[in-house]
Amino acid sequence: MSYHWNWGILLAQEPGGTGTYLHYLIVGLGWTLATALAAWVIALVLGSFIGTLRTTGNRWIVRLGNGYVELFRNIPLLVQMFLWYFVVPELLPVRLGDAIKQMPPPWGSYVPAVLCLALYTSVRVAEQVKAGIQSLPRGQTFAGTAMGLTQLQAYRYVILPQAFRIILPPLTSEFMNIIKNSSVALTIGLMELTGRARAMQEFSFQVFEAFAAATVIYILTTLVVVLGMRWLERAVRVPGLIAASGAAQAAH
Amino acid sequence: MPDAMISIRNLSKWYGAFQVLTDCSTQIAKGEVVVVCGPSGSGKSTLIKCVNGLEAFQKGEVVVDGISVGGPKTDLPKLRSRVGMVFQHFELFPHMSVIRNLTLAQEKVLHRSPKDANEKGMKLLERVGLAAHSGKFPAQLSGGQQQRVAIARALSMDPIAMLFDEPTSALDPEMINEVLDVMVALAKDGMTMMVVTHEMGFARKVAHRVIFMDQGQIVEDCSKDEFFGKPRSERAQLFLSKILQH
Amino acid sequence: MGGFDWEVIRTSLPYLFKVGMVFTLTLTVLAMAGGIVFGTLLAMMRVSGLRSLGLLAGTYVNLMRSIPLVLVIFWFFFLVPYIGAWILREPRPIPVGTFYSALITFTMFEAAYYCEIMRAGIQSIPRGQVWSGFALGLGYWQTMGHIVLPQAFRNMLPVLLTQTIILFQDTSLVYVISATDFLGAASKIANRDYRLVEMYSFVAVVYFILSFGLSLLVRRLQVRIAVVR
Repeated sequence: MSYHWNWGILLAQEPGGTGTYLHYLIVGLGWTLATALAAWVIALVLGSFIGTLRTTGNRWIVRLGNGYVELFRNIPLLVQMFLWYFVVPELLPVRLGDAIKQMPPPWGSYVPAVLCLALYTSVRVAEQVKAGIQSLPRGQTFAGTAMGLTQLQAYRYVILPQAFRIILPPLTSEFMNIIKNSSVALTIGLMELTGRARAMQEFSFQVFEAFAAATVIYILTTLVVVLGMRWLERAVRVPGLIAASGAAQAAH
Repeated sequence: MPDAMISIRNLSKWYGAFQVLTDCSTQIAKGEVVVVCGPSGSGKSTLIKCVNGLEAFQKGEVVVDGISVGGPKTDLPKLRSRVGMVFQHFELFPHMSVIRNLTLAQEKVLHRSPKDANEKGMKLLERVGLAAHSGKFPAQLSGGQQQRVAIARALSMDPIAMLFDEPTSALDPEMINEVLDVMVALAKDGMTMMVVTHEMGFARKVAHRVIFMDQGQIVEDCSKDEFFGKPRSERAQLFLSKILQH
Repeated sequence: MGGFDWEVIRTSLPYLFKVGMVFTLTLTVLAMAGGIVFGTLLAMMRVSGLRSLGLLAGTYVNLMRSIPLVLVIFWFFFLVPYIGAWILREPRPIPVGTFYSALITFTMFEAAYYCEIMRAGIQSIPRGQVWSGFALGLGYWQTMGHIVLPQAFRNMLPVLLTQTIILFQDTSLVYVISATDFLGAASKIANRDYRLVEMYSFVAVVYFILSFGLSLLVRRLQVRIAVVR
């Protein structure tokens, strides 16, 4: 083996003149998180909405929801990324499409990347929300509506607060997925962490230092997310069994 | 006892800090039928699993047919192939047909030819009255039928002794007798048997000795007549009175 | 946009399928086979009860699951030539080509995911099954091979296949090492003829039909397995 290790490269200046390679990678992490977080917020809202609708029992709404889920689940993420970046602007009215295409970097990549990851992940969130709601005993809705709550209120105060507690662990792994998946955006020119590791490898020829540094940063990020979620799980935990009233109270 | 088939000496076992077996000793002679009873949690299932090394133990010695179970060089698979075992929950292999359940170990452990294994298997299924069901899968049989298949499976290895771990306690009452009948027949054929069970009728009919366990210890170890005549310990008396009321 | 050009799709069909899709499907099938075998070994290590083996497999699985697949693809793309040189004692890195690089990557990466599925499968088998295997005198490998793994595999078949559909979609990421898989082939034509809308829309439709069709099959299988039990 003839590889020359040079860990000092991380502290050398990167050719763009913004600072060291390490700094360059950490800015990349910033873009990774900015992409993932923005997409996560949209995914969570949209996914919760669609997931809830799918449990209402209205046949047409359920079918529409199923179609949405199948559409985004059966096309590879990278292909969806290309659709958002190359195809969607062409399908929009010409002026809007041109405006999107002329967005200055990095926004021209950032916006499609966020939309793509958001919709892709919303489907997975919707599946979890649906499963969480369906895992609750039906008596919970009955009990809620028997007390005079409307269907909407029963969801708001009784069903969803319990369902979200149940699906917190799978949602954590979905959040980690969205962080990892944001690396796919490098294909449409977003210089997030993996993209910058790749660029560093091309500039410096120190392949393994670049990838090792990125790997360590990803692992540290994962650890922080896991710890944060554990804290959140403790914070919203309902003492004893998950009782409807307790869950609703704790949600405020 | 010079011709002891199974000999257990000063056996102790712990799960972490919790002691499940305390200094248990007994012997089972060739051709002897011994019933082990006691309240749940008394360690009787653990004791019988130590005999063929399914449970490891920390102190003492178990010797089966002259071979030490806990010995570092003991070929456990070989030893186990000579001691049949029947479980509470049957533990037939659900993904294999009844006859395949009987032939698998004959082929893989005893290296019998498929033809011989099949013949042997069919003969044993006939003996337990289930030859007609050989092609079915375990889930298609009743509990009693499954347990009879499990006994036939253990017998297919030509065991020198048989261990039964609560063989009827997972069965509906109307199925218990069909299994006990097979076991009684086996006992009358002279099979060496160690049976963990609450079926005192079975014990009265064929057991030579009864062992009573409580809290990980062997409290009584005496002949059947002595045990049912007048157990020495209060705990055994209490246990018997509870069992016999039912 | 200038109208949707069907012609470019029609003329490139042979290239897209005979080169691109063949690459994608070969990669998927081989990586699935390799990934399940390696993943099952990892799962056996994790449930073995031997602390060092369990820790080793656990670390591997967690490492693979905490970094993006794109980064793993890059890692192996550059690492495999060095490992090849090390094994063959060559002084220089050995070029292996994008297909074998991708095959090694996906086998190693998916093994981590198959491992967790098989681990759940093994743990779903009651302990009594293992005991009764041992009680019959079967050894560890015989008990695993004839009794535990066949049942675990059967119980987990729908999940394993669902993971394989994900693998099928994930193989499109070999685009980042310029491999000519189905998407790569389409991308090459899209850029040559400047027909990105047509080619990427077509690719999306084909992936959708295949993935959705497979997932319908898996669902039917799931129902059948549930009935048999």
